[in-house]
Parts: sequence; C-alpha cells; structure tokens
Amino acid sequence: MSGHGFLLATYAPGSSLIHRTPLWLKFLLVVGCGMASFLVADWAVSAVVLALLCGLFLLSGAGPARLLRAVRPVLPVLLAIGLFQWWQLGAPTAARIVLNVLVCVVAASILTATTPVQALLDGVASLARPFRRFGADPERFALTIAIMLRSIPFVVGAYMDVRDSARARGLERNPRALVLPVFISTVAFARQTGEALAARGLGEPEDPED
Amino acid sequence: MSSIVLDRVTVRVPVDGRPAPKTLLRELSLDLTERRIGVIGANGSGKSTLLRLLNGLVAPSEGTVRVDGADTVRSVREVRRRVGFVFTDPLSQLVMPTGREDVELSLRRSIRNATERRAHAESVLERFGLLPLADQSIYELSGGERQLLALAAVLAVDPEVLVLDEPSTLLDLRNRELLRRTLAGLRQQVILSTHDLELARDMDRVLVVDDGKVVFDGEPAAAVAHYRALSTAGLPAPGGGLAGGGLERAVPEQARLEQP
Repeated sequence: MSGHGFLLATYAPGSSLIHRTPLWLKFLLVVGCGMASFLVADWAVSAVVLALLCGLFLLSGAGPARLLRAVRPVLPVLLAIGLFQWWQLGAPTAARIVLNVLVCVVAASILTATTPVQALLDGVASLARPFRRFGADPERFALTIAIMLRSIPFVVGAYMDVRDSARARGLERNPRALVLPVFISTVAFARQTGEALAARGLGEPEDPED
Repeated sequence: MSSIVLDRVTVRVPVDGRPAPKTLLRELSLDLTERRIGVIGANGSGKSTLLRLLNGLVAPSEGTVRVDGADTVRSVREVRRRVGFVFTDPLSQLVMPTGREDVELSLRRSIRNATERRAHAESVLERFGLLPLADQSIYELSGGERQLLALAAVLAVDPEVLVLDEPSTLLDLRNRELLRRTLAGLRQQVILSTHDLELARDMDRVLVVDDGKVVFDGEPAAAVAHYRALSTAGLPAPGGGLAGGGLERAVPEQARLEQP
C-alpha cells in the first residue's frame, strides 16, 4: 500500500499548554466546533474560527507540516463541494460550508495531535463507562474508535493504490475499476484486522472480575 | 512446557458454487510438547489452518484441540491468553499508529494504570531494541522492525506458547537472521510454519504437511529432506520445459503416505 495519508493529525509529543489541557476540554472543543458548523451562518465567522484554531494548532508545536498533512486529503473533496455549492447557492454559502468542514477537521486534529492515542482510548472508555449498566463494554467502545482511526489511512492508501493501477491500465475514468477494488480490499482489511484482534484477545467481552 | 493435543481434527470450509465443502485438514492427531516445532509444506497444504487451530482462530469441524487441557472452542479466551499468534504480514496485525501505542494496546486488559502500562510497554520495546522507534509511524518502519514489533506486542502479555505463521516470508536475509536469533532466545514454546528451510532446521521437531495431512513428523533434517523429495517429485528436468505433465502435482503416492 503506497498511500497512508491520515485524515487527522498524528500525535506530536510535547508539553505545550494544549498538550496539558484536560482531555474533556479538548473533546468539548471538537463537539462545539461540530455543532457550531450547523449554526454559524456567516462565512466570515467561520474564517475567524478557522484562523484561531490554526493558531492553536501551531501554538501546540505540532508544526504546519503536520497540519497540512491532516488537511490535504480533504481538499479535493472540499474543492468539489465548494464549486458545486457556489454554482447552486452562491459564493458566501459555498465559502461557509467549506470553512466549516475545515474547522471540524482542524479541531479534531488539535485533539489527535496533542493527545496520545492511549489517553484518547482511556477517555473514550471512561466516557462510555456509564453505559456499562446497559450492557455496553467501554473497552470495546474505545477499541472501535482506535480501529476507526487506524482504518482511515488504510482506505486512503487503498484508493491511491487502486487509482495508480487503474491509471496504468488506462481505466482511470472507469468508476467500477476504482470503486470495486477499494471496496474489496477494505473488506479484506476489515477481516484481517478482526482476525488480528481476535488472535490477540482484544475486543472480547471483559472478564466479570475486571 | 505447554502441551497441545489435537485429537482426530478435521477442518472443512464451504466453497461458493460447490455442493460439498473443501477439506483443509483431515483426521489430524498430534501431541505438541517440544520447545521448538516447525511446520513446512507447499502453499495451500494446510499449514496456516493447522496453526490457526492452536489459537482458536479456526474451529475444528470434527475432533478437538486442547492447550494445557483448555478446549480451543469452549475456552477460547483462556487459550488466547496462553497462545500468542504472529501473522505473516505484521501490518495486518499492528492496529495502532505507532509501536508504543500498539504494545500499550496489548496491555490494556492486564494493566489498568496508564503510567504502569506505559512503563511496561517501554521495557518490552527496550528488550527488542525498538525503544528508539517507539513513536515512529508503523508505516515508516522496515519490514524487519515491523515483524519484531508485532512479536513484541504479542509477547508483551507473556503467553506460554508463541505461534508464528510464516514469520520470515517478507524479510530480507539480515532481518531473517535477526528473527531467528530472537526466536532462539525466547522462553516460550514456539510453533511456526515456514518456507525458510534454514529456520526449520533450528527446530526440535518438524511436521511436513501435504494436502491436509501430516506426511512426515520427526527430526528437522529428515523432514526437510522429505519435503524436498515431495516438492520436486514429478517436476520436469532442468531445461526440460513443461512437456509430459508440466507443473501438475505428480507426487508419488508412496511419498505422500510415508510416515516416520
């Protein structure tokens, strides 16, 4: 697999103020940005929020390259969405939608760039703990999030590989030649991952004494 | 040393478009007690299926597999605590973005305290010489480093038995040698399948699997010789082309049925 573009920024070890910020506050930032993206109606507000978030990201010391790596994979999709919305609803709406998506991506990247995955998993597991009484397994819940984070670069990489081989065969305009192999390799990856987790005893229900 | 007992194990799998299932392993009875056991055989002979039985990844269609008395179907969790499994391709096994995180993931169930977990993960990585690479993306590691990391992540929980499915297939000569030395130094019982006949020679006992059956079981040198005879039987002479049956399997019936 050649491409491993990661949609969210990978963890950058550090001791900045943002690294030390409690996890719940960073969670709140991501949730808040996600909700605000539905409520904010002015593209200028979205632009200011995006600038602030980019500033926060850089303040953490994670670096502009990491930020760019996190944002780059969504740019082609945003370009397509932006052009379509511009045509349909005009420039201000198109700018607002694109900026709001970027706000969400950068907010999530701040969380992942300044929080080790294990701390994220601990956080998710403790958030899910109250649901234990309804039969939920917090560790499984956390593991699901981890697998989701791990799977994004795989799917991106699989798409890039398939696109390259479709190009080599002159089939880059054939959607079947692009979609089907990505779908098949993603399903195979899911099976492999499930098998690997099972072999390591991960994702099984917790022991009653735990 | 652990005792792994296979009692008349048959494994069948359904095949799309065929009324009858395909038999992957037939009536296998084995008692695996040696410290180092190798499994060799052609592609598709049933080696991986045999290894997967030992960790409960594959359930027997008939018969039973027991690890220190624990049935791999009824007590699969206990079996998986005892038996660690390393896959051929470490990327299909490493589920976290970095080595440190993957080893910590292995330890989540056994060590609840995050600080203790981190310290233990570091000691495991250090033991395998992987601590300097702990925070590097798994995609940036070499094939050998990834395989060592997969091994470290499995050994972090200290299983009694280590099962490895063709662990050296994707490695270059240097990394293969590193793997051999690492395996030689482990306290665990090691059971591995391989096409690397040098690695097979390091074992105490080697099984040759062909067409779902163990056709030889004994000393490594004799097992390798048997496997060579089995693999080359019926091949055209060098430069002889594909005439007269080509690459079709033409193993003499006697070689297939020979028992030690």
